[in-house]
Amino acid sequence: MRRKLTAAGLVAAPFLLIFISLFIGRYPLSVGEVTGVLGAKAGFPSPSPLPIHVNVVWDIRLPRAILGALVGGSLAVSGAAFQGLFRNPLVSSGILGVSAGAGFGASLAIILFGSDTFYVYAFAFCFGALAVVLSYIIGTHYTSTPTIMLVLGGVVVSSIFSSLVSLLKYIADPYEQLPSIVFWLMGSLASARFRDIAISAVPMGIGMAGLVAMRWRINILSMDDREAQALGVNIAFVKGLAILFATLATAGAVCVSGVIGWVGLVVPHIGRMLVGNDNTVLVPVSLSIGAGYLVIVDNVARTLTGSEVPLGILTSIIGAPFFVYLLKKTKGRGW
Amino acid sequence: MTAVIETRKVSFSYGKLKVLEDIDLKVEEGEIFCLFGPNGCGKTTLIQCLLGILKPSGGTVLIQGRDIKCMKTVEIARKLAYIPQLHEKPFPYKVIDVVLMGRVSYTGLFSLPRKEDRRIAEEALDRVGMLSFKDKPYTQLSGGETQLVMVARALAQQTPVLVMDEPTAHLDFRNELYFLETIVHLIKETKITVVMATHFPNHAFYFENSNTASRVALMNESMFYAQGRPGDVLTERNMYDIFRIKSKLVSHKGEEGDVRHILPIKTFAEYS
Repeated sequence: MRRKLTAAGLVAAPFLLIFISLFIGRYPLSVGEVTGVLGAKAGFPSPSPLPIHVNVVWDIRLPRAILGALVGGSLAVSGAAFQGLFRNPLVSSGILGVSAGAGFGASLAIILFGSDTFYVYAFAFCFGALAVVLSYIIGTHYTSTPTIMLVLGGVVVSSIFSSLVSLLKYIADPYEQLPSIVFWLMGSLASARFRDIAISAVPMGIGMAGLVAMRWRINILSMDDREAQALGVNIAFVKGLAILFATLATAGAVCVSGVIGWVGLVVPHIGRMLVGNDNTVLVPVSLSIGAGYLVIVDNVARTLTGSEVPLGILTSIIGAPFFVYLLKKTKGRGW
Repeated sequence: MTAVIETRKVSFSYGKLKVLEDIDLKVEEGEIFCLFGPNGCGKTTLIQCLLGILKPSGGTVLIQGRDIKCMKTVEIARKLAYIPQLHEKPFPYKVIDVVLMGRVSYTGLFSLPRKEDRRIAEEALDRVGMLSFKDKPYTQLSGGETQLVMVARALAQQTPVLVMDEPTAHLDFRNELYFLETIVHLIKETKITVVMATHFPNHAFYFENSNTASRVALMNESMFYAQGRPGDVLTERNMYDIFRIKSKLVSHKGEEGDVRHILPIKTFAEYS
């Protein structure tokens, strides 16, 4: 019974936070005004709301909150999966180079096509995925994907793409392109519209669903390769599948939000302290916490000052004290 | 009767280095088969060939008469369960979660352990006397307790065979004995077959002394030097031939008849 309640709470929390986000912002709105917009959009016969209200609630706050939840969930789930897969709690969703690759893709698109979001998304996603493929190829060059080789592959590929990003920054036009690149790399959901969700929700959704579905297998993959195989798991296939899902989720997230640190590393740890290390529980809990966390932080990002604060800066500034508090409170339980 | 495990002229090499050469063995149902030999003689490689983790470069491995090459990973996992020498603990999983992993070969890629799997896992823990540790983080267990959890995980796999690679290598005096007792108890109770690599000839004697059908293969330099009953294979002569040591076979009256052990006396190393 308690388990079911907790589960229900975990599912409901991100939705509740999304709903609350609709009221938060520089433009004050009453409960009636917000529900009026939602009601009108849902097709209920009601007095048509003011266009400015529709604009604020439906075109700005709602897509932003939904995208925040998707991105946060994706980063946290793939972080948890990678930590299991690599048997290392210090690993995050960017371990195989997806963030570095996406950063390069986005910078390249900004230089080639200006800040047209479509090209930025497409390039960020493709180069993020390409980085993982390259890491994987380097890792598998040595018989059957030993974990260390994969991590090394990720390190090599990440550093190459980071250098390339620096190169692009160096040659970029310092008045137009350079600020866009720097701003993108700091991560933000400011440009989120429903169109962005439609594009990126597909890879994020597939990735998250896949990892949640195969979460018990992540327990097994965290065992020594020989043991995992003797337990009956076809390691190369299952590991490859997990990496594929995690990459879809992360690349889908990074391409719309830019590089957002911390979530993929620390949210799984918050989960570990709260519910333990069993991935059958940890993976869905990380999803829920990650989704809720990013929605909250994004609300802070857009209300803290008159202009937008980049999300990637806030995730750790807000998250770090909370993490320390949790460490103290649980005395590092789960570790 | 077909042997539970049979190898025919199995050989294996890492590049040019030959690690196994023409290994022929037959393990019968309900017996314990010990692989004994010096460091680097190929025991672990042979064990991994039996488990299908390494592919032999020549010869065949048969599991209950079927060629292992034609078996999927899942099928092998339902026949052979593996107990490693030293299990690395990546995360502080609960004991029960670790044992549940033994059930993975019975469930689909996208499914979770069922109630039935949980029951089997608890039963397996109970068998090795570790049920009370069920909800403990297994990083808090001692080496001996961890090995018992590994046995429980293997039992949860419900296989006819347990394959163990020096399972007592990191256990203290008592835990080593307790581990061996547990294995003997299991064999007598369930007719499970055991293949065990070991560094200690007295393990083979222990099994013989406790009236378990036991055989030992003495390995040296990637080949079987001798195989048979412990009393016939583990002689002072063979110890000298393989290890260059002087040893003493001792025998005394135990609770259930004669008990034999072999004691190492001295090497012939020269100190300058």
